[in-house]
Amino acid sequence: AGVLAAHKITASSPDTDLPTVSGLRKMGVNFTVSNKDTVKSSDVLFLAVKPPIIPFILEEVGPDIEARHIVVSCAAGVTISSIEKKLSTFCPTPKVIRCMTNTPVIVREGATVYATGTHADVEDGKLLEQLMASVGFCTEVEEDLIDAVTGLSGSGPAYAFTALDALADGGVKMGLPRRLAVRLGAQALLGAAKMLLESEQHPGQLKDNVCSPGGATIHALHFLESGGFRSLLINAVEASCIRTRELQHLADQEKISPAAIKKTLLDKVKLESPSLSVASASKVSLFTNRSKKN
Amino acid sequence: GAWPRVAMEASELWVGFVGAGRMAGGLVRGLLQAGKVPASNILASAPSDKNLDAWRELGCRTTHCNLEVVHRSTLVFLATKPHILPGVLEEIRPAVGSHHIVVSLVAGVTIQTLQRLLPPWTKVLRIMPNLPCVVQAGAMVFSRGSNAGDEEAALLKSLLSSCGLCEEVPESYIDIHTGLSGSGVAYVYLFAEALAEGAVKMGMPGALASRIAAQTLLGAAKMLLETGEHPAKLRGDVCTPGGTTIYALHQLEKGALRATVMDAVEAATNRAFDMAKN
Repeated sequence: AGVLAAHKITASSPDTDLPTVSGLRKMGVNFTVSNKDTVKSSDVLFLAVKPPIIPFILEEVGPDIEARHIVVSCAAGVTISSIEKKLSTFCPTPKVIRCMTNTPVIVREGATVYATGTHADVEDGKLLEQLMASVGFCTEVEEDLIDAVTGLSGSGPAYAFTALDALADGGVKMGLPRRLAVRLGAQALLGAAKMLLESEQHPGQLKDNVCSPGGATIHALHFLESGGFRSLLINAVEASCIRTRELQHLADQEKISPAAIKKTLLDKVKLESPSLSVASASKVSLFTNRSKKN
Repeated sequence: GAWPRVAMEASELWVGFVGAGRMAGGLVRGLLQAGKVPASNILASAPSDKNLDAWRELGCRTTHCNLEVVHRSTLVFLATKPHILPGVLEEIRPAVGSHHIVVSLVAGVTIQTLQRLLPPWTKVLRIMPNLPCVVQAGAMVFSRGSNAGDEEAALLKSLLSSCGLCEEVPESYIDIHTGLSGSGVAYVYLFAEALAEGAVKMGMPGALASRIAAQTLLGAAKMLLETGEHPAKLRGDVCTPGGTTIYALHQLEKGALRATVMDAVEAATNRAFDMAKN
């Protein structure tokens, strides 16, 4: 998105063999195996490890956190208060922001929400918002809504991929080649979403606009309704939200699975999927009156 | 003999009903409520007095002779049961003139059939009302036959708009109207009953629950009609995040209520179509 120069971003991971590592290096991001180095060279610190790992990371980098740092956690189910509690042993007023984003940030069509912690200023929130707005939609919410956001837009892309897979199957059944079916299905959803975002109209009205009397679309919609399509989607969002809460609850009680604990051996960690990418925004003047570290 | 010149003013109109059942009764009550046609200008015929007593109480004239209705009326409503109609048409056919306006309320009898059984010059219209015409909140659609012109359509619309919504449509919509609104009234009664039952289950007395259920439907419908907003939007307006309404709606969606309602409209429409064919 051109918001940050790559050399101002530092990422760390203990495992240098991950494919994401070479990808980041190619983009010009500074790479290190030391989390501490990342913290030292950053103003804004994104914690992008898996939720059970968060407490261990915080223990590790806690001593290096200074008042200027904005710690942004993207970990699902990890509360601001749990992070603040962990960091307060090292830093009296840690600036913590919790955010929930989703995978389409990759194509700059992400959906991100954030909630600011006790010591994070309005400015800090706005900085994050500006960063995340460059990769999609970003807005501030009350922390207690983040689980619902997870259920909706966090998991949402998965619902969409499932739908697209099935739509493509429908196309293939009716004679379309698979590639074309996927392409058309994706474009249909993209176009519909765009129409909705750009329209003042209710989605119900937009739906009606597509349904000519006795036509193909209304026949198809009847099938969707008969299958309880709407309720399935409501169920999905609800299930994801509830599960997020469950996981958060487990995390709060510090019931970490033995498997997760094994993975946190700090000298030799092999995370199963890319969860690095800790970014920094040092030397970026997004606010002219913000003092910068040199 | 010479027939009286047709007066298109409603107050001078002589209106006749062949058949005096529930639907006809609903229409006439609506007409009278709106004060468009004086009761003394209305003549209804039926084989027995069973239905006619109520009409006389309204101030209408009654007879057992269908021909008399045709002789003494300009606007003639046909409101018999479907299987009776062919016989009735054969009976009144000699008396039907070019000044008559014949409006059929008979379910399932097409304009084509009506025109076939009546003299070729007859101005024929076909209307499908629904029961709430009785309380001037009906929904009616009508179509015109070959000889019915703008004047006749306008007259019918002006007379019946006092009974509720009255729209001219292509004849192919009439069966759909049956499925949507003719029978639709029954769906609403079913829904109202279920709403009340839910409330009773939760501890409210039945009579109160029923009245509130009815008022809820009335109020929601009124808002729909008066705001002109899309029902989905109005629905969203009622749903506060995490509140009672959205929880309830989820239950309705789980039960595939929408599809079931669509099925109902489809079934009634198809049935109307099948019945008309036979």
